[in-house]
Amino acid sequence: MEAPPRPILVALGSEARSLRLIQAGFRLARERSAPWIAVHVDTGPGAAVEDAEQVQVWMQEALQMGASVQMVAAPTLAQGLSELTRTSHAQALVLGRSRDRWPWARLGHSTADELQRRGLEAELVVLDDRPEVAEPGAEGLQFRALLGTLLVLAACTGLAWLIPREGDPSQVLLVNLLGVTFIAHRWGSGLGLLASAMSVLLYNFLLETPRFRSVSAHWPNLLMFLLVLLAAQAVVGLLHRMRQQAREVQRRELHTASLYLLGRDLARSLTPEGVAETTARHIQRVFRGQAWLLFPDGAGWRVRPAPSPLALLPSPGELLPQLAAGGRVGDPLEPLVIGEATWLSLTGTNGSEGVLRILTANEGGLPSQTWELLKAFAVQIALALERLRWLEEARRTQVENETERLRSTLLGAIGHDLRTPLAAIHGAASSLLLPGTIAEATRTDLLTMIQEESERLAHLLGNLLDLTRLESGAIQVQKEWQPLEEVIGSALGRMERRQGHLPVRVDLTETCSLVPLDAALIEQVLVNLITNAQRHAPGQEMDLRAWDEPGWVHLEVADRGPGIPAEFQDRVFDKFFRLPGAGEGGVGLGLAICRAIVQAHGGTIHLQERPGGGSCFRFALPLDGTPPAPPEGAESLTPGGIR
Amino acid sequence: MNQPLILIIEDEEALRRFLIPTLSGQRYQVLSAATATEGLAMARSHNPDLVLLDLGLPDRDGMDVLKELRSWSRKPVVILSARNQERDKVQALDQGADDYLAKPFGAAELLARIRVALRHTLPTEVTEPVVCGGGLRIDLAQREVSLEGRIVKLTALEYRLLEALVRRNGKVATHRQLLAEVWGPGGEGNTHYLRIYMAMLRKKLEVDPTRPRHFITEPNVGYRLSLEALGD
Repeated sequence: MEAPPRPILVALGSEARSLRLIQAGFRLARERSAPWIAVHVDTGPGAAVEDAEQVQVWMQEALQMGASVQMVAAPTLAQGLSELTRTSHAQALVLGRSRDRWPWARLGHSTADELQRRGLEAELVVLDDRPEVAEPGAEGLQFRALLGTLLVLAACTGLAWLIPREGDPSQVLLVNLLGVTFIAHRWGSGLGLLASAMSVLLYNFLLETPRFRSVSAHWPNLLMFLLVLLAAQAVVGLLHRMRQQAREVQRRELHTASLYLLGRDLARSLTPEGVAETTARHIQRVFRGQAWLLFPDGAGWRVRPAPSPLALLPSPGELLPQLAAGGRVGDPLEPLVIGEATWLSLTGTNGSEGVLRILTANEGGLPSQTWELLKAFAVQIALALERLRWLEEARRTQVENETERLRSTLLGAIGHDLRTPLAAIHGAASSLLLPGTIAEATRTDLLTMIQEESERLAHLLGNLLDLTRLESGAIQVQKEWQPLEEVIGSALGRMERRQGHLPVRVDLTETCSLVPLDAALIEQVLVNLITNAQRHAPGQEMDLRAWDEPGWVHLEVADRGPGIPAEFQDRVFDKFFRLPGAGEGGVGLGLAICRAIVQAHGGTIHLQERPGGGSCFRFALPLDGTPPAPPEGAESLTPGGIR
Repeated sequence: MNQPLILIIEDEEALRRFLIPTLSGQRYQVLSAATATEGLAMARSHNPDLVLLDLGLPDRDGMDVLKELRSWSRKPVVILSARNQERDKVQALDQGADDYLAKPFGAAELLARIRVALRHTLPTEVTEPVVCGGGLRIDLAQREVSLEGRIVKLTALEYRLLEALVRRNGKVATHRQLLAEVWGPGGEGNTHYLRIYMAMLRKKLEVDPTRPRHFITEPNVGYRLSLEALGD
């Protein structure tokens, strides 16, 4: 049986770099599929309370990333770590090394060196603080700095020469202090050190009378100059720290501002494409690089904003494991640099939302000191993508619920309305088939019923099909300019051929001639409205009117029936809505179809109470586009010449 | 006298069961086929006087069958179309089908369409110059139209449109066909011309233009001139 993998130890202190140690430990453990242990060595009293609290924070973080934690007490860090490594049979030990120690501490006295001397069996992984990035053109500056130092020293000596001294070096000291401080501040502490030593010698050899005497003759002065050196060092140190702090504040401010701007724009992006564009714009502004969002799509990528100029992308299967970060927001997501491209996993609350790819002009991707901000960007982008995904999911769920609700209403309504005519047809047909004779009148009656009920069934199914196709967009409205009269005539003609004369008064104003509409569909609207009026006001006269106003044509079907109670007026156009107490007949689809058709034309439909009793269905169709030129020789069709 | 032979090409058995006895009862000879291949073979061997063709056949597109039929036969073809085949229906009419019946249809409607389809389309050279019915009288030789005994004056284009409808002898004419016949090639896009002239014809030749009896609109398909008795 295979032995379980040996654990990886990560030594944590209270310093900020512990986060990087945690990330490194997590990554290493993941690579080697080994457990990992976060260790803090307590080297006895003396540690500040805040430090202990910070250690707790890091330990918590490590715990969340899947580490087990351990605290040990030992006189020195090295001793504690070496003992623990031995007892836990660790395969590797990750620890940090800071730079802000005294230089001599780095020569053989660091914990790492100490551990090596103790003959550790485990592999030692030492994380240096990130190297300070050299100022651009640092080599060119070296010579100029040296020259500048000499010039400043010469100037100081010259100035000191002019000051009456009479054996008292204090004024000269002040001048030299100023010079050395300036040099150290401007060109760094190395040259400052050199300058202070040189100013001592210069004073001794040039200014002190008698000149060119040996140093030993000026012991007291020499002591003074040593003080100058120390004072200059102290001032320079303070200045340096202040400057660093100011820079840090500036950097933080910049980060905050960039993040704020990005977050604001991301919140306004409503699609993944929008997020990608926002990302690209902000990364261009802040990091001076082109950015793309990549979403795994089978064996390839969906790239936004499209298209990526470099088609040669590593496949998701190849890249994702390399980028593999933790499973949650804020889990380690160190960028991966391949050639000129920097890659980052966009990790949301539950898993990767995609990959960010940044292309910069220089080889080696984005410089590592920008990574912190870049990672913050990645988290924001991931959250934005995740938000969109959730929105989409919520919307889909809503649609599904709506569909489900409709389906159940539909089944309920249809169940009844299909069964009734079917039962009648079935019953009538079976009695016709009974042996024996049936009276001729009964026979005709039954056959008429079969015909009527099957027509009703066909009508119901036709309506359902129409509504479904209208709502799913399967029916395209084919608008053509045509006389309203033709549609009205077609609707009335169709109904009258079937059921004889209808008591409909038609009133068209003189002005409306051509209207853009789909004749078959608008005819359906009119037939449904007239049928509806017939059903609620049987045998009574109804009015069909049409008139126009700029941009719109209005049509209205008005009856003198009982009207529709105010509380139902909003709902009459809903699918399967039937007035309570309404008799047999419709299934509540006719008006829903009317609304769907009118809306597909870009128009509106509503119900009004008719003055003097009855209800009045009114719909308006837009007169959009320019009407076609009338044919030549159509002089008899002056505007409104329809009647 | 020999009875017209009708070939039914329809895949739904229920519909065949309704069509065959209905037509046989009207003293037509009836043949039926359930697939396009079978139907085309029967059409070749029996040369029927009329074909009832369903557009939704299982083995081949109904439009193909129509084209093949039309490649060698001028005999009338009546299309049986389902509700969601509006576009195919118009295309079939433009491709040379004589008329259509939208499912579901009743026996009376079916027999009326078959009667109309079996009538010959009037040839351009006038043989039977006077057509009348429902109060309308159209004399193709004299180019004279009268309504209830009064002579009605028509413009040249109005008359050409009326004549195009009359020649179809009760069968449907698509917008395209009418535009091509009245306005000549290139007029196909101007459907609104047709509608305006139709409105003018109705104004002159219908008692109530909002309740047309003769100039019947087939929505999104075309027009049909019906000269049969009122209340048809």
